[in-house]
Amino acid sequence: MSATTAPTRPIGAQLVRVTTPAALVILFVIFAVVSPTFRTPGNILHILVNNFSLPALVALGMTLVVSAGGIDLSVGVAADIAAMLAVTLMQNGTGLGLSLIAGIGGALLVGLLDALLITVFGISPFLATLGVLFIGESVQQLATNGGTPIYLVSNYPAAGLDFLAHGQILGLPLPLWLVAAAVVLTQLLLSGTAFGRHLRAIGAEPRVAWYSGVPVRRATWLVYLLSALLCGVAGLLLSATVKSYVPLSGNAFMLDAIGAVFVGTTISRETRPNVLGTLLGVFFFGMLHNGLLLIGWNFYWQQVAIGLLVFIVLGISFLTRRLQTTD
Amino acid sequence: MSSNLIAEQAPAFLDSSADLEDRETRRARHRSQIIRLGSIAALVAVFAYFGVAAPGFANLGNLANIVEQSTVLALLAFSMSIVVLGGGGDVIRGGIDLSLGANLGLCAAAFTVASNAGFSDPVAVAITLAVGAAVGLVNAFAVVALGVLPLLATLAVMNICGGAELVLTQNTVISANSPLLSYITGASWLGLSMTDWILVGAAILLIALVHGTRWGLRLQAVGGQRQAARAAGLRVSAYLTGTYVAAGLLAALAAIVQAARLSGSSPGSGDILLSVVLTSLMSVVFSRRLLPSIGGTLLSVLFIGGLINGFQLLNVSSYWVNGVQGVLILFVVAVRSLSLRRGSV
Repeated sequence: MSATTAPTRPIGAQLVRVTTPAALVILFVIFAVVSPTFRTPGNILHILVNNFSLPALVALGMTLVVSAGGIDLSVGVAADIAAMLAVTLMQNGTGLGLSLIAGIGGALLVGLLDALLITVFGISPFLATLGVLFIGESVQQLATNGGTPIYLVSNYPAAGLDFLAHGQILGLPLPLWLVAAAVVLTQLLLSGTAFGRHLRAIGAEPRVAWYSGVPVRRATWLVYLLSALLCGVAGLLLSATVKSYVPLSGNAFMLDAIGAVFVGTTISRETRPNVLGTLLGVFFFGMLHNGLLLIGWNFYWQQVAIGLLVFIVLGISFLTRRLQTTD
Repeated sequence: MSSNLIAEQAPAFLDSSADLEDRETRRARHRSQIIRLGSIAALVAVFAYFGVAAPGFANLGNLANIVEQSTVLALLAFSMSIVVLGGGGDVIRGGIDLSLGANLGLCAAAFTVASNAGFSDPVAVAITLAVGAAVGLVNAFAVVALGVLPLLATLAVMNICGGAELVLTQNTVISANSPLLSYITGASWLGLSMTDWILVGAAILLIALVHGTRWGLRLQAVGGQRQAARAAGLRVSAYLTGTYVAAGLLAALAAIVQAARLSGSSPGSGDILLSVVLTSLMSVVFSRRLLPSIGGTLLSVLFIGGLINGFQLLNVSSYWVNGVQGVLILFVVAVRSLSLRRGSV
């Protein structure tokens, strides 16, 4: 019955796991052949910095949350609140460091509220974070008079801000270093530690985990706080790049992050959220946006195409999995 | 396989795991009764407050207005409730249809474009219903035949529908005029507009269908314990397919009402999705067994509609509306879960 413990694994099982990577490689080759611009190193770096790094930070946090059997619909709020606080403070002349710390603090408050609602009030993660999303939207609307963007004044001493958005360390842009740090953090938490095993236990059967002495509450707090932290970093990077705060702009992260995490589960033998899969998922989406644009599809058709491709990838991997398990 | 089994047997978050024990069940039923009555009392209290504080709120005309403004949301929330009922309450593995908002937009665009292309109303309606049902079929195909998680399948379909709407309308407002559209907003009977009557009719029909027929009972069996329903000989996949197609058809109906109210189609209808999820999931506190129900959905939609309307009359900024909705759902769900819990996780 249990395919995961069978000593010899059917060849089909291996095939499912390559669906996403294969689709990624095939599309990469197609884009590279059709568009000479696409295959330039400069463009690949462009994808990594502009289409990949910010969603990757959010999706890595989501990977932790989903591993623990939860879901976080408030990722956009955490990113937006961080940007809102930091940009507002900077505009009023506060130093860069303090503004950024305040932004991260704001994001952590969102995570704190999520965790509080889930652990203390016993609300399911979906509803708790949905409620926080609604509240967060109101807070932003009230603070910005209905959604007016805040632009940083041009004479703001922006050297540090520019470094945040475009700075390079050892030739690699700072956002990618932050993604690398987040990858190390999430990978360590998920695989190398007792905490990772606890998360998976909670994700599989929270009640059993609780009865077995797993510190369910502590793990839940940590997961939502970490998710909010990563979202806050993403929000700050975004506002550093566009030198402004646009209310409710973080919501675009939410569905992409959820999609990337679950597309990523298709490469895991146990269909669990995993860091590599999530990164592949995020890159898949980022590459599609960039590639479809470069081969000349307009924005409207891009959206149809992305939906269709995700549909096909999910369809193939879930169908193959189903065919194996009903054998 | 093992993970599937665990997934289907795991207590869904809407069911209390209390139904393992008899005594627990009875106690839970008492509690759910209290929650239900408390929620209805809250609804009555809010409406009574507005009735006193907001001039004109309790006007018959204004109340009809609330119903009219709630019709599109209510039709979509009914769809969501049917899908959740059939698929089970677990948000990730159970039933959910994230494509409803985008489907609404696509269908409204389809009706408007068809109407402007010179098709008569019956033909345009047929096209719209066909589009809605087709979207539902695609969802059903992914969920039932391919076995994709509903959350993911409908997320992908949402993208496809949203994109298709943009392709159809080029992201512009398209106006439309037709006898049907003016009939829906203009004509009235017994003091209520046709929009009101569409909501009343749909609600009565669906309450009868879901809560009063064998079909509805079996649907709830499929959602409650899929394995047991299958073992009892129910054609689970047919019921699940039915829920997504019904949801698509209701979204198409909602789209026609929306096209009438907006005199055409305009981008951004997909934004309604979160309100749909909210009202549908909130409906559990109005139902006897703490499961989604059509009547409960109607009550929570009217609750939200009344709140928005009352705020407008009291001149409270509309920026508060989302936050109040959020606090509201957190409050009702927290009350429910705290009273159901007995000292465990």
